[in-house]
Amino acid sequence: MSGIIKQEKETTLYLGPQHPGITGNMMIELKVTGDTVQRGKTHVGYLHRGFEKLMEERLWMQCFPIVCRICVPEPDPNEENLARAIEEIEGREVPERAQYIRVLVLELSRLTAYLLWMGGQAGSAGLYTMPQWTVGDRDYILDLFEELTGGRVYHMYIWAGGVRRDLPEGFKGRVLKVMDYLEERLLEYDRLLFENAIFQKRAIGVGVIDKEKAMEWGVVGPPLRGCGIAHDVRRDEPYEVYDKLEWEVISKDGGDVCSRAYVRRKEIDQSISMVRQVLDKMPSGPVYNPGPNPLKWKLPVGDSYVRTESARGEFGYYVVSDGSLRPRRVHVRGPAYVHGVSLLERMLPGMNIADVSFIMNSLGTCPPEIER
Amino acid sequence: MSDELKQEQEIARIIHTTFKTAEVDIKRAGRLSIKLRSDLLPPFISYLRDYLQFKHLVLISCVDWIEDNEFELVYHVYSYEKKIHVMIKVRIDRENPKMQTILPFWDHAGTYEREIHEMNGVFFEGNPDLGEFILEDWDNIPPMRRDFNTVKYVNEVYEWRKGREDKQDVRETISKEYGEIIPDFDSEEK
Repeated sequence: MSGIIKQEKETTLYLGPQHPGITGNMMIELKVTGDTVQRGKTHVGYLHRGFEKLMEERLWMQCFPIVCRICVPEPDPNEENLARAIEEIEGREVPERAQYIRVLVLELSRLTAYLLWMGGQAGSAGLYTMPQWTVGDRDYILDLFEELTGGRVYHMYIWAGGVRRDLPEGFKGRVLKVMDYLEERLLEYDRLLFENAIFQKRAIGVGVIDKEKAMEWGVVGPPLRGCGIAHDVRRDEPYEVYDKLEWEVISKDGGDVCSRAYVRRKEIDQSISMVRQVLDKMPSGPVYNPGPNPLKWKLPVGDSYVRTESARGEFGYYVVSDGSLRPRRVHVRGPAYVHGVSLLERMLPGMNIADVSFIMNSLGTCPPEIER
Repeated sequence: MSDELKQEQEIARIIHTTFKTAEVDIKRAGRLSIKLRSDLLPPFISYLRDYLQFKHLVLISCVDWIEDNEFELVYHVYSYEKKIHVMIKVRIDRENPKMQTILPFWDHAGTYEREIHEMNGVFFEGNPDLGEFILEDWDNIPPMRRDFNTVKYVNEVYEWRKGREDKQDVRETISKEYGEIIPDFDSEEK
C-alpha cells in the first residue's frame, strides 16, 4: 500500500459482524472515501433465535426462561416486563415487598449494564484499562445476583405474581458493602475516563443528535436525556415503587457523546442511592402471590403494553392473550431497534471510521434485541 | 367515571368528533385502545401526531388472527406531554394483506414495516425499502404466521443428531457408549 488515498474513490468496508465495539453480532456496510463515511447500512440477522415465535408454542410459565436471554448485558427488564404484562391481563396483585425487591434487582442490573457500557465506551476510545476495571467490578454485583437468584447473568428471578424467593439472610449488608466499594471506585473512574482530556476531546461535539429531531426519530433513554429532554419512564409512568423513592430525572444539553456519558454517569450515582433507599424502606411480608397450576394456567382474553426504563431506554412488551394456555403474540420493543438501525444509518454520513463504534456504544446499540 | 380518567375521556371525545367510526376504549389511566377502519389509518395517525401531540411512535405489531382470516396491525403511539399510550388497531385481510405506509410521519416506522413485511408478509404500499431484514434467502411462508409449523420446517430442512431418530432417551445412548449408569428419579423406592 502506497498510503496515497484517492479521495474520489469509494470503498466498501464491512464493520462486523464480529467487532469488539458492538455488544453482539451485527454488521454495518460502510461506503467510505478516505476515512470519511459517506453512507452506511445496518445488516442484522446473525443473532436471530426466533424467541417470539418460540413463545407462541410454549406455556406462559415456560416463557420466563426465554425472555431473559433477549439481552445479555441487562436481562432483568425483560422478565419484569413480561411478568407485569401478564399481571395486567390477569389482574393479579403483587405483594409490596416483591415490588421493592424487583426495583432492587432492576437497579442492580442497571448498574451492571452501565459498568459494561463504561468499559465499552472507554475501550472504543482506546483507553483499555477501563474495560478491565469495570468488568471486574461488575462481577461483584454478579456475585450478589448469584447469591440471590442462583444465576450470574440470566436470573429467571422475577415472575408473574412476585419474585421467586425472598432475600437471603445478611444480603442487605453485602449489597451495601458493594455499593460503598463502587462509590469509592467511581472517583477513580471519573479521573480515568470522564475527566480525561483524551476522552473529552474525542467525545465533545461528536455524534450529535438534533434536539428538535430527537423525538421525531424515536430516540429514547440516555440519548434522549443527553439532548436535554428530561423524559424517563420511571417518572412518566411509574411502575413498581419508583414513585415512592426520592430521585430526579437527569438531563443535559448538547446531544453529543459527552453529554450522554454525563447522563449515564449521574444515573450510576442515582441507582446506588435508589438501591440504598429500597433496602431501607423495604417492608416485610410475602414475596409471591401464587397463581394457578402452571401446566393449566390460562389467561383471560386481552392485551397489554408495558414499558420499563432500561439502561438503554424504553423497553416494552406487547402481550396478546387469546384465552388459551399459550400466548397469541409477544412483541418485544428494544430501544436498540431504533437506535441501531434507522438512527445510526441517519447519523453515519460524514462520520470518521474510528468514531463509528465509539458512537454506537454511546447510543447503546444491542443487536440481540433488534432480532429477538 | 372518576376524575383520573378525565384527560382520557376528553381525548376520546375529540377523536369521536372527527372520526365517527373509531371505537375508543379506555383500558386504564394512560392506556387507550382504538379500533379503526384500515383505510382511515394515515389521516388518523397524522391527526394524532400533529393535532393531539402524540409525537412518539413506540412500536408497530402484527397479530395473526388466523381463525378470522385477518391480520391485526397495532400501532403504538405515545404522548410525552399527556403521558398517554394509544394502541391503534386496524384489521386487514389475510389473503392479500396490504397497508399504507406511515413512513412520511416517522422515519423509524420504515424498519418496523420492513420486519412485518418479512415476518408476516404484509405489504406496505409506499415504503421504498422492504428488502430482507433478518432472514436470509427465505423461501417458505413468512415465519411469524400462525400456519408456519416450526417443527415441520426443522424436520424438512435440518438433520437430527445421530442417536435421536426414534426419540429415544439421549441418556440411553450415552450410557451405551460410555457405560454410565442412568440414575432413576422416577421410582418411589429409595
